[in-house]
Amino acid sequence: MIRFENVTKTYKGTTVALRDCSVEIDKGEFVFLVGSSGSGKTTFIRLLLREEVPDSGRIWEAGKEIVHLPRWRIPYLRRNIGCVFQDFRLLPNKTVFENVAFALEVIGRPKHVISSQVPQVLDLVGLAKKRDNLPGELSGGEQQRVAIARAFVNRPLILLADEPTGNLDPRTSIGIMRLLDRINRTGTTVIIATHDAGMVDQMRRRVIELDHGVLVRDQARGVYGIDSAVAAAGGGSPTGLTVEPTPTGPVAVPDLEPRAVPGVATGS
Amino acid sequence: MPVSFGYVSREAATNLWRNRLMTVAGILTVAVSLALVGSALLLKQGAATATAQWQQGVNVIVWVAPGSASSQVSAIGQELGAVGYVERCTFRNQAYDFAESQRILPADLASEITQSDTPASYRCVLTNPSEATALDQQFSGKPGIVKVTYPSQQIRTMQSVIHVLQWAFLAVAVVLLLSASVLILNTIRMAIFARRREVSVMKLVGATNWFIRLPFMAEGLVQGLAGAALSVIVVLLLYWRLGLGTVQRASTSIFAQMHMGLAEVAGTCIFVAIVGVIVGVAGSALAVRRFLDV
Repeated sequence: MIRFENVTKTYKGTTVALRDCSVEIDKGEFVFLVGSSGSGKTTFIRLLLREEVPDSGRIWEAGKEIVHLPRWRIPYLRRNIGCVFQDFRLLPNKTVFENVAFALEVIGRPKHVISSQVPQVLDLVGLAKKRDNLPGELSGGEQQRVAIARAFVNRPLILLADEPTGNLDPRTSIGIMRLLDRINRTGTTVIIATHDAGMVDQMRRRVIELDHGVLVRDQARGVYGIDSAVAAAGGGSPTGLTVEPTPTGPVAVPDLEPRAVPGVATGS
Repeated sequence: MPVSFGYVSREAATNLWRNRLMTVAGILTVAVSLALVGSALLLKQGAATATAQWQQGVNVIVWVAPGSASSQVSAIGQELGAVGYVERCTFRNQAYDFAESQRILPADLASEITQSDTPASYRCVLTNPSEATALDQQFSGKPGIVKVTYPSQQIRTMQSVIHVLQWAFLAVAVVLLLSASVLILNTIRMAIFARRREVSVMKLVGATNWFIRLPFMAEGLVQGLAGAALSVIVVLLLYWRLGLGTVQRASTSIFAQMHMGLAEVAGTCIFVAIVGVIVGVAGSALAVRRFLDV
């Protein structure tokens, strides 16, 4: 589904955002992308959206090599990718329904498709009753649900989320994660860049960790930090938000060699 | 992906209405700028026709004394016809000249003239206007001839003044056109800047560039057209108010010397309208471009 092959991206030739990164993500996977600020998570997402092109290396997405994709093909690539951001990016003067419908209108879907799909996806995110509200009248969590509905309404193959719970309180965040999990179960590949240690620990999904642009960990059922990863490896099973968030310092612990995950080419 | 006409017009209409103030600002910018451009062009054309008028008018008038015998009058005519550099001469009788004087002269003067006082005349066109002096010397003082009048140095001065004016008007028009384009571009860009969020969301969900661009261009088209329409009204008002449509009034005003047909005015208006449309559409396309580069 997604494959990075020795991808390097620098900004202005000096700041390294991603260094020789190789990783493979299969269809239907649920992946957390973790790392401190400036570790390259957002660059990873932007490369997938083809908002950036790497300095070197190749990226495959949904069977296509996207680094050399001609400009005019980019919109068609993006139709296979839904994305969600920390700041929601809703249009403030459109209602919930219109915001979601906008994503379909823009790609030229006929009216009858819009009027059947949008209520369906609003139902999925639990906002059927608020379809005529404006984003400003909703809570942060609800706004993020609208954003997820908009990202998912087109049934994309991949859903990217850049800090989707960054602006939300822990309780609301759980709801958002559950929703993303549900979407993942429909077969959509979900990639979440996050700082939310509790969430990562609770979900026990594949974790890819970046540190200063280098892929330092790729773990099948990982947790956010090193210590809890060790605990997990020792048999401990952190449950939910009770797990203490652990520091995410520089990682170079030898016994944390990335685990072999079937079908996943690990970094380094 | 085909972009439906319905979508583009609907989107453009809602956006124009939603950003009413910007729309009005855009239209007024186009209107004011193009009205100035149109006026400058009109005056330039006026200057051109005024020059043509003068050049056509470079003819010598030989005034025949009132009450001369008709044989003497025809003798003068034959003599004029015999001069080599005279291309042709037209005889105007007293009735014609009287009517003309009534039309040209200020009312108080005109009322004191009677038809019998008015001299008849030969209007002569010369092959070379510079021979006018020679003709004057040859015929002045002959029996039956009151006076020979012809365009003198003043006219040539006038011509060069008009020539300079023409270029000045053209330069003003070009400068105005440039500044109008920049103003319009800036106005449209501000309107688009206010909606960059929307554009970025459209890009994100996979809208093609044309899909994003076309409604903006349609808006530019509407603004350009509306602005051009207003400026055409201003140009037409100017045309009528300055009396540029009427032929040569007796006035020392330079505008009196300018006159032009409706065809020329229509040409100016069409030019202004086309410029308005181009500036609106191309301006929008240009202004939206930077927001499409994601």
